Amino acid sequence: MRVKVTEYLDIDLKKELWCCSRCGKELYSARDNYKKGCLIQDRDPREIYAPVIEGPINFAPDPSWIRIVEFYCPGCGTMIENEFLPPGHPITYDIELDIEHLKQIHLGKADGNKTNKLD
Amino acid sequence: MTLETTFTERLKPEPLEPHELKCIELLKGVDYELAQEKLNLILEEGKEIMIQSGVSSMLRSGDIAVGLYTAKGDLVTTACGSYLYAVCGQPQIKYILHKWKNQPTVGIRPGDIFFANDAVFGGVHNADQFVFMPIFYQGSLTAWATAACHQPETGACDPGGMPIKALSRYDEGMKISPMKIGEGYLLKDDILEMMANMVSRTPQMQIFDVRARMIGCDKVRLRIEEFVKEKGIDFLTGVFTKMIKSSAEEVRRRISTWIDGTFRAVVFTDNIGVDAGLVRSFCTLTKKKDQLILDFSGTSPETPGPYNSFKHTTIAHNAIYLYGFPFHDLPLSAGIWEPIDTIVPLGSCLNANPEAAVGNSVLICSLSMCLIHIVMSKILFASKKKTIATSPFGNNGDAFVMSGTNQMGIPFSDLLAYPLNTEGGGARYDRDGVDAWGFPWCPWGKGPDVEEEEEDKPHLHLFQKLLKDSCGHGKFRGGAGITVAWVVQNVAKVVYQSNMRSSRVQVLQSFFGGYPPSVHPAIQIRNSDVMKKMKNGYPNLPTDVYELIKNREISGDYYVGANPLESQTFSEGDILVGCSHGGVGFGDVLERDPEAVMKDLRQEIISEWVAQNVYFVVYDPQTWQIDDENTRKRRESARRQRIEKGKTYTAFMKEWTRQKPSLEILKYYGDWPGES
Repeated sequence: MRVKVTEYLDIDLKKELWCCSRCGKELYSARDNYKKGCLIQDRDPREIYAPVIEGPINFAPDPSWIRIVEFYCPGCGTMIENEFLPPGHPITYDIELDIEHLKQIHLGKADGNKTNKLD
Repeated sequence: MTLETTFTERLKPEPLEPHELKCIELLKGVDYELAQEKLNLILEEGKEIMIQSGVSSMLRSGDIAVGLYTAKGDLVTTACGSYLYAVCGQPQIKYILHKWKNQPTVGIRPGDIFFANDAVFGGVHNADQFVFMPIFYQGSLTAWATAACHQPETGACDPGGMPIKALSRYDEGMKISPMKIGEGYLLKDDILEMMANMVSRTPQMQIFDVRARMIGCDKVRLRIEEFVKEKGIDFLTGVFTKMIKSSAEEVRRRISTWIDGTFRAVVFTDNIGVDAGLVRSFCTLTKKKDQLILDFSGTSPETPGPYNSFKHTTIAHNAIYLYGFPFHDLPLSAGIWEPIDTIVPLGSCLNANPEAAVGNSVLICSLSMCLIHIVMSKILFASKKKTIATSPFGNNGDAFVMSGTNQMGIPFSDLLAYPLNTEGGGARYDRDGVDAWGFPWCPWGKGPDVEEEEEDKPHLHLFQKLLKDSCGHGKFRGGAGITVAWVVQNVAKVVYQSNMRSSRVQVLQSFFGGYPPSVHPAIQIRNSDVMKKMKNGYPNLPTDVYELIKNREISGDYYVGANPLESQTFSEGDILVGCSHGGVGFGDVLERDPEAVMKDLRQEIISEWVAQNVYFVVYDPQTWQIDDENTRKRRESARRQRIEKGKTYTAFMKEWTRQKPSLEILKYYGDWPGES
């Protein structure tokens, strides 16, 4: 059973894996950071925000201060998430779910009763 | 300085007493619902009267609140305005009760009027001034009314109430601890004169607006007295108690329906007012059963400038999100804080020491506003509450100050309310954000018309419109911000100041692959010939900031630099450019409907460069008809390139962790790299 967690990420509860919701690709352990299962690119922000004028202050973020770190599904290339980070800054472990609680909600307790809390 | 700051921590309601709980039993049938609505209407009346009685543009724009609190000082409900005032009224009332109730030289009596504007005692920043009135019934303290709004002058080292050059509290002008300023329902003229003297750039504005606050409070006081006379004191106590208790219970119930887990986010800003430098804020949201913990550990240290906040002010900024999204339909009471704990390390820029300059606390709190929005939206989306799991709005705090003597010869100092009230809305899972959505600090605020502004202030608007490419891109885009250019007219000189940052780094962060909005430079033109050209009907005057800065049809001395801009004198004909920021996008740009891209293009929300290079839409350059097949192929190619260029986590981290910004950039950052 797959449970939707973000726009592009599901969790396969039986396998305890993050999966791409677009192509179904299995990415990484649901008990760890899904970003470890993504392809990652460090991008110059000027590729998205075109400088309008010459000079260091030009309507685009300064690449020596901030970079765009993009996380792609290795199966279909969907951009699952991106982060604006100073160069070298740690990647954020943004979603750390209590997998036991998630299972309890969707698969039910040991006695077979789902808590059905999210409905 | 010696302070009793424990009161600033008391944002949670005081424990309910048996008598208060018993009073709930008096409420029969629809008594509670009717009484709740009655109280809200009383506060709305107080708010409207206050707006009609005041003069500063922030007050008239609605950046105010009129609130009702229990006799113990707990928030019952508020007419907003801004949630900041609702939250921050509470610790200040508790301070007054603790310090002055039994103090013979002060006391709390019917007809008393209290005032405060020092954030150290529970306020926001000293531009935000509060008036408090106790409400009595048959000699017993029954409730409190408050009225608060932003006063755009404080007598600080810069005009405008939010000095960006301030280095400590001693540079920030008038700061009054909670004190009595009136008795017998009358304000004391000697104290008003003292305030006017301390805020001598705009003495009349200060006096008028203090009176407006008092008038708002007193209307509430009168109506509550009438209400108690009709219904009885125990009935009122029952309503108050139920509003606080039911909020707490419902917040706890809702939290219990969300998924358990830990959610984290990080954001950055590029300036501390007195200098450029990278500042970070980090938030960890932990949800377990029916409790939330918001932990801002990992936030940069207190800065040597005015972009600092106190803990209670940071929590009040969290209220903007909490009252506005997951708990928007509950009584706006202190009850919501009962199941929520907040950790903000002392000595960080979000929990500064009492001596710190905090005049721009609201601007540094744009970091925490973005953080709580992201972590909460992620937990809500994962918990099947995606209709309120939105991308952040453009909370950059696009504050521009104008000060001087206006065309009628009256001294004034004001925030320019249009850019403040027109930041872009965040995108949602099924729609774009609203263009020029509003003022995140005060969702009820309104952006004034050009004509209204030009009647009041000695400048004209060369242009004022939505700003192309200012939105965050995505499957659904954020709302666009605006661009405006002010030309000084009808006076020899005025002072402008820009408090906004985000010329190098955007405060906002991505959401589910949607991009944050763009950044903006500070632009001004001195000694321009624009007035002459307008008089002569010159046909090629710029209609937006890009035309202004690229085509340079206006002659003059151009300056392009980083925001913020310290207060500077501008002469007649000089130009200052302002802007507001867009909202954050939602989802992958490659999933945006090409028709929506072309609609944005036609409406000048985006440029052709963005349509082609961000959204990868192929179209006929003459007719703008979409080429569906080639758009599909270009997007497929873009996806393949992502896969080709993307590195595995291990390979990426090997290169990534070798990088580090320069020490100059990191001088205010704290320990590098910090938590993740």
